[in-house]
Amino acid sequence: MSEAAGNKGLAAAPIGLRLASVLHLLPWALALLVYVVAGGYLSLGTHALIMILFALSLDLALGQAGIITLGHAAFFGFGAYAAGIFATHLSNDPLLGLVVATVLTGLFGVFVGILILHTAGVTLMMLTLAISALLAEFANQAHGLTGGDDGLQVGRMAPLFGLFRFDLRGHTSYLYVLAALFVWSLVAWRIMRSPFGRSLDGIRQNPRRMRAIGTPVWRRLVVAYGLSAAMAGTAGALEAQTTRAVGLGALSVLASGTVLVMLILGGTRRYYGAFLGATVYVVVQDFAAQIDPFRWMFIIGIMLMAVVLFLENGLVGLVDVAGRALHGPRSPGR
Amino acid sequence: MLDITILLDGVAYGMVLFIISVGLTVTMGLMRIVNLAHGAFAMIGGYLATMLLGAGLPFFAAAIVAAALVGIVGAVAELAIYRPLYRKGELAQALMTFGFTFVVIAALTTAFGTGIRTLPVPPTLSGVVDIGFRTYPTYRLFLVAVGLVLALLLWLLIDRSSYGARLRAAVDNPRMASAVGIDVNLLFTVTFAGGCALAAFGCVIGAALMPLEPYYALRYLVLFLVVVGVGGIGNFKGSFVAAIALGIIDTGGKFLVPQAAAYMFYGAVLILLLLRPHGLMPAKSAA
Amino acid sequence: MKKMLLLALCGTGLTWATATAAPADTVKVGVIATFSGPFARWGEQFQQAIKVYQKQHGTSVKGNTIDVIYRDDGGPDPTRAKQLAEELILREKVQFLGGFVFTPNALAVADIVTEAKMPTVIFNAATAVVTRKSPYFVRTSQTIPQVTVPIAQWAFKNGVKRVITAVSDYAPGYDAEQYFVKTFKAAGGEVLESIRIPLATTDFSPFYERVLQQKPDVLFIFGPGGPPTVGMINTWASRLKPAGIRLLCTAETQEIDLPKIGPVALGVVSAFHYTETVDNPLNKALWADLTAMFGKNTVPDLASAGAYDAMELIYRAVANFGPQVTGDEAIGFWRGMALDSPRGPIKIDETTRDIIQNVYLRKVEERDGKLENINFETVPMVRDPWKDEHPE
Repeated sequence: MSEAAGNKGLAAAPIGLRLASVLHLLPWALALLVYVVAGGYLSLGTHALIMILFALSLDLALGQAGIITLGHAAFFGFGAYAAGIFATHLSNDPLLGLVVATVLTGLFGVFVGILILHTAGVTLMMLTLAISALLAEFANQAHGLTGGDDGLQVGRMAPLFGLFRFDLRGHTSYLYVLAALFVWSLVAWRIMRSPFGRSLDGIRQNPRRMRAIGTPVWRRLVVAYGLSAAMAGTAGALEAQTTRAVGLGALSVLASGTVLVMLILGGTRRYYGAFLGATVYVVVQDFAAQIDPFRWMFIIGIMLMAVVLFLENGLVGLVDVAGRALHGPRSPGR
Repeated sequence: MLDITILLDGVAYGMVLFIISVGLTVTMGLMRIVNLAHGAFAMIGGYLATMLLGAGLPFFAAAIVAAALVGIVGAVAELAIYRPLYRKGELAQALMTFGFTFVVIAALTTAFGTGIRTLPVPPTLSGVVDIGFRTYPTYRLFLVAVGLVLALLLWLLIDRSSYGARLRAAVDNPRMASAVGIDVNLLFTVTFAGGCALAAFGCVIGAALMPLEPYYALRYLVLFLVVVGVGGIGNFKGSFVAAIALGIIDTGGKFLVPQAAAYMFYGAVLILLLLRPHGLMPAKSAA
Repeated sequence: MKKMLLLALCGTGLTWATATAAPADTVKVGVIATFSGPFARWGEQFQQAIKVYQKQHGTSVKGNTIDVIYRDDGGPDPTRAKQLAEELILREKVQFLGGFVFTPNALAVADIVTEAKMPTVIFNAATAVVTRKSPYFVRTSQTIPQVTVPIAQWAFKNGVKRVITAVSDYAPGYDAEQYFVKTFKAAGGEVLESIRIPLATTDFSPFYERVLQQKPDVLFIFGPGGPPTVGMINTWASRLKPAGIRLLCTAETQEIDLPKIGPVALGVVSAFHYTETVDNPLNKALWADLTAMFGKNTVPDLASAGAYDAMELIYRAVANFGPQVTGDEAIGFWRGMALDSPRGPIKIDETTRDIIQNVYLRKVEERDGKLENINFETVPMVRDPWKDEHPE
């Protein structure tokens, strides 16, 4: 990863280290800038932040651990419904609901992982698809609990920390989601750089060899999958709490496919790939749909094809190009 | 007697799945490329067929001609879009083909509108046939027949012809294959075109069951992926067996326990894959 | 906390500055509907009907331009519908909201519509409870119970004794099933089985084999329109029609799908609030303009009627109150309003803000080589039965 190489190679030059830190702060500064400047776009911005978190969770499972999943929306939706049902029936405190939804989704992820992670490749992909389809069917039928096809309308959340009301214009929501994303991204950063994360790297590249050196591959995968599920569950819960509506679409194959597209678009295994991909996709789709509600797919499709044809690993490749232009060639990253 | 009807229904449904999905077995399985645009190629064939039918061509001829045309489109696509993708990895292929599908959907919506396009089955096929104990829709028997013939032809082609042998060689070991004089590139282009043509053929033949509209490509993509995935990637016998098995289980299950109908298909997928994680008929080598 | 307040104030201030405020004589109407994906035809039909309306009545009312903004919700997606509504209300500063193909989308925007006092016309979503969710909702389409009760009553009156219902497995399907079964049983009929068919089904034969086994007089179906509905009717035609089992439905023979189903649909009886062959000047003009503007195969449909009448409501509100019309004024004005629609006479209920309209019993017949629904009986000015049974 270029950041790692940057830290190592530029550690000798204190200016470089500061530069790297500034680069890391950049996305967060941008997010705060959006908050201050683009007040009318806060709901779009909140949605983008939630998608970033969702894509980041997928990067942990897919990009890092190599678990090919076409059903990650199962966890997003699970978290969304968990938070929605919790708020409706038990307590509308947002933080409590968030924690409960995250933990429940993580446990669900572990359960699913235990069930299917002994398989690999296309089989695993099909199984993730099947699980998410079955969950969606269950949500459709259990309409006493989930509202079924009509969706779940969640009551208004209690003020955050008892102080900050969730206002109509979405100010509290935006900062709330941003904070949650910040926390999880720190956690993800730590995970990806820990020995555990490194072992996931190895498992993705060559599970047989990892087994040969004694790594408990299956156990690691289940843990990774559970963490990824928890992260996705937080994203879903945030969406349920901020938009106060959960629909079956949150569990759909299209949702799984879209987040996958966002991640690949941005670049897998590049920390900010999820950030770039999700933001670009959400923003471009919104504006394209405004220009032409019928044919926005055309614009998105062309964009996706162009990114694959001209960039090596997603939009993050553009950042690399810019980096090379500014600093000259540096050693290849992660 | 009723069981035979349900069995027949399941087989017919499975046959349609097979006919359309077998092209995906070719592209995804044999050529190891993640081709999410399979439904898009099928759909292009369907729309071409509507134009051909409008111009007066009979049904079967329209299906063949549309398939041939889509084969050409597929060959062009292979050279232009897919060739650079081989070395880029699965995720890039997924993204590219997904984007391509979006483009095709938008383009066909613009050209043909959002509504369903009919591919009317010829009168000879749209009645019922007396199969002894009851009457049964002719069209479904036709589907079963077409599926069987197609399966037979493909088996002969892949397992018994020199083309098939060269193809299997090229997939197993492209470098070695070129070394012995097999033109791997040409082979791949031709095979990819064949896969797309099969998709188009299946779309036209099966249009009475899966109506043609611009969202067709994505609506049924998951079904095709599942058939190929459950069958074992790259495996004709596998996808045939998977399609028939899923068709029978899905249909039979819905008949016997309609309350659980929604869970039948993916429940079957889950159980089948957990029981046989390498696919129904795992391939030791390609095909 | 102070910093937070300051930031919030800045944000609000800038929201005001950056938002597009409409000049005094432009009235913006936001339409949230489905323009892409499997249900794209709904948005297309809404837009076509609105364009016809604006061609017929002009794009301005007493000098005030009516500017229609379209936003794609992509299908049933309550979170997206909510975001779009927020954008339209806060950023585009629309004065009317419209559209809503799907009930979950309408339900999701209820609270912000109420908070913003935004007069909102529902072009389609047909679950009965929708207009209860916000005092600013008005509906120009139909409710499922409203059109289902008449067909059940007609069936029994015309000698049907044994029925099986087969509906798509989602909330509107359950509504249709509930009201058909309830009404038919109350009249004295027998319902042998109620089957629910998953929305993603492509092959309906196993369900229909079950029906064939039990040999009812009639099969009543409910589908979402498009490929599943076409499949449901075609499978009936190939399996059950030869066995003498008749088909009853509501919207399924709608004109946009009818040519795709084909002549097998001849004779199918349905009940619905909009029949394309209704003979009144508004309907004739709508059909003529649609074909003139969008091609000879364009037909008006329930979507067209819903959007067209919504525009009439909006135009009347602006004509009466001017371009600064408020939500309370518009809703108050619309309550109890009776008007002529391409479908016939309609009335907006005084208390429920829902639609009261004729329900037509019609049969599929062939006219000039085309398949059409032809009315043979009218149930006049039907109210929504669900609201009458569930008073607030």
